[in-house]
Amino acid sequence: MTLVELLIAMIVLTVGILALVAAYSSGYVALNRATRVSSARLVADAQMERFRAVQYSAIQLNTSCGSSCSEDSTYTSDTAYSSTAQVTGASCASTEPTCLPTQTKTGPDGKSYRLDTYIDYGCVSGTLTTAPLSCGSGNPYPVKVITVVVRSSSLTTPVREQSTFTTFPGG
Amino acid sequence: MGSSSRARLSRRARARAAAEDGFTLTELIVVMAILLIVVTTLSSVLVSATHTEVDANKRFQAQEQARTGLAQLTRELHCAGQTSGNSITDTSGNALTPGTAYSAVTMQLSSGCPTSGGQAVYVTWCTAASTLTTGDFALYRVTSTALPRPTCSTAGKVKWMDYLQPTAGSNPTWSTPFCLPSTTAACGGVLKPATSLPILHVTFPVNVNGPSSTIDTYNVVDDIALRNGARS
Repeated sequence: MTLVELLIAMIVLTVGILALVAAYSSGYVALNRATRVSSARLVADAQMERFRAVQYSAIQLNTSCGSSCSEDSTYTSDTAYSSTAQVTGASCASTEPTCLPTQTKTGPDGKSYRLDTYIDYGCVSGTLTTAPLSCGSGNPYPVKVITVVVRSSSLTTPVREQSTFTTFPGG
Repeated sequence: MGSSSRARLSRRARARAAAEDGFTLTELIVVMAILLIVVTTLSSVLVSATHTEVDANKRFQAQEQARTGLAQLTRELHCAGQTSGNSITDTSGNALTPGTAYSAVTMQLSSGCPTSGGQAVYVTWCTAASTLTTGDFALYRVTSTALPRPTCSTAGKVKWMDYLQPTAGSNPTWSTPFCLPSTTAACGGVLKPATSLPILHVTFPVNVNGPSSTIDTYNVVDDIALRNGARS
């Protein structure tokens, strides 16, 4: 065996071991990405849980309280945004997390996440009209559809969660 | 080419073919030195990658366990108190004092609740010392079909979370993670909104690096609606 052969063997060995390290590295990256997605999902879950505690009539957004209630282009360009079906009310306290269209939350991993909340009227059956609010004759009253979107630069796609809220006696 | 030249070449080729020379000592030492450097570098990278991967896996599993535990607790709190209306108490059956952190809470699940096993049960969620890391706490679930309400000392408890450890925050903390806020008494800075259902504020700071670690804490916090509670 010559020195050249030995050097070639070492190069092959190096390539093999580096491939192994790359596999570890990609596993680590995948785990980190899964953690980010799970953390974002917990942020979305927590926001949805807040709506489960409040009254049906209190499920609305305050879009007119100044800069803390502003809707920027990221918010309005989302597929969940509807300028006509949006449920809004100026009486919704701007200090309540359920009232804010956009807010920043710290996730369980300590990272910052942008939390966008969309509340729209929707129909289980029929077609929605807003003046007067109805789903058409003979159809159930409109429901409120809440979509929570969590965004972060470390997420390849935003995490989305949607739930429908309806009124019931005493609700 | 003359015959003498051909003979010379032929002799040289035969001599080379017959040679049994090995490496010189210098060559061998140079090769071994290079090999040593390369293998040492690569193995340290490999060992470091393995450690990182094991650590990340352990952390991810602990976080996943925390998320699963929170999901189970949320599910049970949503169903608790269907018949009694009294969603949640301490382990003695007393109503929780708003703004006070508890290490254990008890709820009554009716037989219709998906996690009750088809019969009415008392379910207690409580924290106790971890069996994995000294100084850490773990979250347990324990059930009983009859009074007295179960506690963390009751046999048969099942662990749902581990590596709960201290954080900079307080009230609630790792060992007392349950707190019921009111409109005036806050839990971890959270007040109950007016005219809403009662909410239970929970904090589960998970850290696999031991109780003294201040980095990489995965802090699971939630405000769970007690859906069968009285709106106020």
